[in-house]
Amino acid sequence: MSEAAHPELDATEPAETVRAPKKGMFGRPRREPLIPDAGAAGAPLTAVIAVMSFLAVLSIAAVLVINKAAGDWMTTLRSEVTIQVKGADRDDIETGVAEALRVLDGAAGVLSAKRMAPDDAAALLDPWLGEGNAQAFLNVPAIIEVKIAPDAEEELALLRTRLAAAAPNAALDNHAGWHRRLERAARSGQTLAFSILALIMSAACAISIFAARAGLAANYEVVSLLHLVGATDQFIASEVQRRFFVLGLRGALGGLVVAGLAIGGAIMAARAGVAADGFLPQFEINTPMAIWLLAAPAATCLVTALTARLTVLQALKSQY
Amino acid sequence: MIVEFDNVGLAYDDEPETLSDINLQIREGEFRFLTGPSGAGKTSLLKMIYLAQQPTRGRFLLFGEDAANATRDALPHLRRRIGVVFQEFRLLDHLTAFDNVALPMKVAGVYQNKYREDVSELLNWVGLGHRMDAKPPTLSGGEKQRVALARALVTKPDLILADEPTGNVDPSMSERIMKLFVELNRLGAAVIVATHDLNMVQTIGKPVLRLSDGRLSRAPGAGGAP
Repeated sequence: MSEAAHPELDATEPAETVRAPKKGMFGRPRREPLIPDAGAAGAPLTAVIAVMSFLAVLSIAAVLVINKAAGDWMTTLRSEVTIQVKGADRDDIETGVAEALRVLDGAAGVLSAKRMAPDDAAALLDPWLGEGNAQAFLNVPAIIEVKIAPDAEEELALLRTRLAAAAPNAALDNHAGWHRRLERAARSGQTLAFSILALIMSAACAISIFAARAGLAANYEVVSLLHLVGATDQFIASEVQRRFFVLGLRGALGGLVVAGLAIGGAIMAARAGVAADGFLPQFEINTPMAIWLLAAPAATCLVTALTARLTVLQALKSQY
Repeated sequence: MIVEFDNVGLAYDDEPETLSDINLQIREGEFRFLTGPSGAGKTSLLKMIYLAQQPTRGRFLLFGEDAANATRDALPHLRRRIGVVFQEFRLLDHLTAFDNVALPMKVAGVYQNKYREDVSELLNWVGLGHRMDAKPPTLSGGEKQRVALARALVTKPDLILADEPTGNVDPSMSERIMKLFVELNRLGAAVIVATHDLNMVQTIGKPVLRLSDGRLSRAPGAGGAP
């Protein structure tokens, strides 16, 4: 057809008004969804995504807390070794302590060495033997707490050799057993948290598939008409994807806000020493942590939108 | 050639054929009325042309392409060259009259600032300039029909199909609509109008195709040939 496609319009009645575009967010023209919300899409989907997002943020926060706690504990363990000096009697122990301290004095990799007070060492056994009984009835070994420089493995091996020669009744413990247990515990915690995160994403996928299929079924006439006026499957899928992204974003932001409040409360409780009797580490959210926490609702939102798109593309090919 | 049917038949499921042995050629710039009693198959024939229904046998070419065996990816581009005024309007109730008319433009990926004036112009012409933001449930039957008409014409299609386009409008608007079809046809668009309004057919004086019992024939006394 030629460019002057509607001459009747000018000939019979000139245009009276040109509709001004409706303004939406940031002054851009507002875009009505071509496929209306129906079935599980809309408020129910937003609510479910909010819950998923909340749980996802908490899962990521759990991973971060576990990493922080394990990291703190490992750093403490790696920076300290303990020397235990046993003996048949007090003199034997005191001689061993003196020899050990002599070896430690000025040794490479040793930052400081301090003998734990005998009363304090004995008090460590109080939970099992009762208060004061350890010192009264047992020859409690002496304990020397040694702070070591980071990455001082070679110096530590040399120290162990020299200590064995100078004070055979002194035993150096680098807490290797605790290292292994802590690493296993941290890995287990991380695996559990990531498994929960994977389950949450799977649930988000499932609800998105359900909502997209329900929405298509409820809007059969609309989708048919879109096809008849020339819409491609990709166009229709993009429409659904855009709508699910908006709904997912609303839900994700809602979940993020609630999770933020919960995490803020936990941080304040940890600082006050209320949570787990000070067991939890002092926790501050730095930039990388904030990025991880923001990634959780963003991922939930993206998973929702992309799943809806793929579901619609598959459904259109098989049903329309 | 815009439309070419060669021994086309259409059957729904295992039912007897609704349309049989359809042989039809519509060239660029042709105007045809399609008449026949209710149930004769007028809407089914139009459905095949606007690619809502595939023929069960025969050869069907649309804009020179084998539409009977067109791939799914090829259909949207063929459909965008056709403007359809559906008998039951098929407007989207959740969109305004403006957005309904703009729908084919949006689907084709045209930006709003490119089609806003065209859509406004069309709605003003069909007398709905004051109801651009009204949604279909608040429009009368005649107003809906005019919105549907504007939607069919907004892309300036090569082929215009209208199924009873004057069924719900007053005689004056009826005449304007038919004059518009004639004008669009004069400018090069092929037009097929299915109608019961024999007075209008007489007035316009274009060739008539008559469908009866699923078979197509030239109406007695009318010009043109199937």
